[in-house]
Amino acid sequence: MADAVIVVALVLVAGCATVAVAVRDPARQALVLAVLGVVLAVLFTAVQAPDVALSQLAVGGALTPLLLLLSVRKVKRRKGRER
Amino acid sequence: MTPRTRLLLVLVGGAGIAALLVAACLRLPDFGGDSHPYGDRAVAASLARQTANTIASVNFDQRAFDTLGEMTILFAAVVGCVVLLRQTRDEHRARPEPADVARPVRRYALIVLPVALVTGLYVIAHGQLSPGGGFQGGVVAATSLHLLYLGADYRALERIRPVGMYEVGDALSASAYLITGLAGLIGSAAFLANTLLPYGTFNTLSSGGTVPLLNAAVGMEVACAVVVLLARFLDQAVEIEEESGK
Amino acid sequence: MNSWLLAGTVVLGGGVGATLWGVATGPLRRRVVAQNLSTALACPGLLLLAQGYERPSYVDVALVLALLGPVGTLVFARLLTDELAADPPRAWGLTWAAAGLVAAVVLALCVAVGPSRELVKILLTGAILIGGNVVASHALSGGFAEVRGG
Repeated sequence: MADAVIVVALVLVAGCATVAVAVRDPARQALVLAVLGVVLAVLFTAVQAPDVALSQLAVGGALTPLLLLLSVRKVKRRKGRER
Repeated sequence: MTPRTRLLLVLVGGAGIAALLVAACLRLPDFGGDSHPYGDRAVAASLARQTANTIASVNFDQRAFDTLGEMTILFAAVVGCVVLLRQTRDEHRARPEPADVARPVRRYALIVLPVALVTGLYVIAHGQLSPGGGFQGGVVAATSLHLLYLGADYRALERIRPVGMYEVGDALSASAYLITGLAGLIGSAAFLANTLLPYGTFNTLSSGGTVPLLNAAVGMEVACAVVVLLARFLDQAVEIEEESGK
Repeated sequence: MNSWLLAGTVVLGGGVGATLWGVATGPLRRRVVAQNLSTALACPGLLLLAQGYERPSYVDVALVLALLGPVGTLVFARLLTDELAADPPRAWGLTWAAAGLVAAVVLALCVAVGPSRELVKILLTGAILIGGNVVASHALSGGFAEVRGG
């Protein structure tokens, strides 16, 4: 019964990771990745690894979406100029 | 090599790895069991050196050499990014137009920026006491600066962010880690050995010998590295444009 | 398993599970709202876990999430302005419902913890989270009116 938190967190991570692979559009993928970061942090906290949870939040919270969306914007701008 | 043989090779290799993984999983200790041989030794070692957070002791004392490797990976990755994303001869910089940000968003960014910066520094400074450390706090502190881009515009961010200084800071803090490690050689100890400084009082900011120093060096390195990395990405996405006809 | 852990599991399983569904399906405007709500629901879950495990230092994880989660949503609001401008997401009901949940959890934890350094941290986390989520929601529904090239 005490492992219920871990089970819930594991199911959420598995579901979110599957969705992250299944989604094709990069912007939507970045959204799913942001949620995946939060869910992973919950899993790490549930298995008593708050240091790793903090690393995951720091990187997944704002940094990864920012890098991804900036890359998407650059590619789109180039496409817009070629048209 | 034909596609058929390649596929066969992948299948053979994959089957071998799968067999090894299954064999390793079968020998794993039970989930949540009470026998933790490595954990017990790591906790004993970190308590002997007055480090409250065993993870920090593992990262910056017992396995400090591994952390040096990880820091070097980040450093090399950022150097690679700086080289790849530089402004080439057929590109020019366009001034980004100022953004019109709603007032609550602007206010929020200006209030949260110092709070996030202080939180980042707090996470770095308390690395040897509570969860967190140089990497986590460094990323938080570096991210907080970019609230200026989100809440105002890119030119506001550029004013407080001389990229050259951060590049110098990145290199300096990476060498600070190395020099602290070399200092461990004084007194016939080993590279990165934690024998130089007194271990201090348990659960205080200055406890753990060289752990807080290495932690601070990593924190500064990560913060500078993230700022430089994001600066290159932002330059490419916002400012740099290719010459027309390209 | 104590009642704090049970409450945390319910918040995480029900709340974050629902936002996972929201972020996986539907139009873009629904997905950004779900991403914003995921931090608003995971953060009280983490606070409840910290109390359930009796580890005050775990509150740091929730504090960092409260700071960076809304910043992540601002990133999406800022860089997806064009995509969201035609059909801006408006989810004030859900946003305030999540804020109410956060306030209730923070209040319950404050009563349980009593006056201490942890209390200040929990209150700070709650305030930053509620403020951040409301502002992020505002930013999504047209907070970046005229962003061109910037």
